[in-house]
Amino acid sequence: MLLIRAIVRPEKKDEVLAGLSEAGFNAATMVDVVGRGKQKGIKIGGMVYDEIPKILILVVIPDGEKEKVVKVILSTARSRNEGAFGDGKIFVSPVEEAYTISKNALGL
Amino acid sequence: MKEIMAIVRMKKTGATKKALVATGVAGFTAVKVIGRGKLVTDTDELEKCREKLLALGLDEVSDAGDTETLVTSFLDGSRFFPRRLFTILAHDEDVPRIIEAITTANRTDYGIGDGTIFVLPVADAVRVRTGEAGEAAIW
Repeated sequence: MLLIRAIVRPEKKDEVLAGLSEAGFNAATMVDVVGRGKQKGIKIGGMVYDEIPKILILVVIPDGEKEKVVKVILSTARSRNEGAFGDGKIFVSPVEEAYTISKNALGL
Repeated sequence: MKEIMAIVRMKKTGATKKALVATGVAGFTAVKVIGRGKLVTDTDELEKCREKLLALGLDEVSDAGDTETLVTSFLDGSRFFPRRLFTILAHDEDVPRIIEAITTANRTDYGIGDGTIFVLPVADAVRVRTGEAGEAAIW
């Protein structure tokens, strides 16, 4: 299994989640986060804003589905067609085991 | 060295904390998150949940029509519910014990929505105070 952590724009969150749900990945967890990227935040006038609000979406998926999920997030989270700075990042990490508490059993 | 991510009900935060302390976990982090689970397609199960929710007497605080739509939106799987995300670092051999403790503390009669536990590998950990790394940094 794989854990997908996607950091996306707050205004794009609904689109990303709808896309994931449509692709068959309804389960997701969200956290509000602040962060900055390679551009070191945004400079507006003399002020540098380096705590930009984003949404962190956590999705755990079976091994073979990575390409599909990443494609959905990439296509829905990108602003305009060409994309822009601040659209976010996707990180993929391995998950060794998953347990569903209500079933007291191994598996997603 | 493993990282255990457990998503549990808000109301079970205290019980989970107690269970973790009793198991002998050195430390953990808890974050408020919102989340939803996989789609429930079992119609019998959904009908049971619907009856339970309607029996809660929401009519007193909303119009009859509102209750119907509210309960439907609760059950169609698109709504996000508040949950608590626990992050625990553990030695490999302690993982089954901790999972057992979290599971027993969090199972409810409702079933659906009790949460999920994920176990992730950790490459390294460093204790800031002493600088010790690896297994020694956990406890």
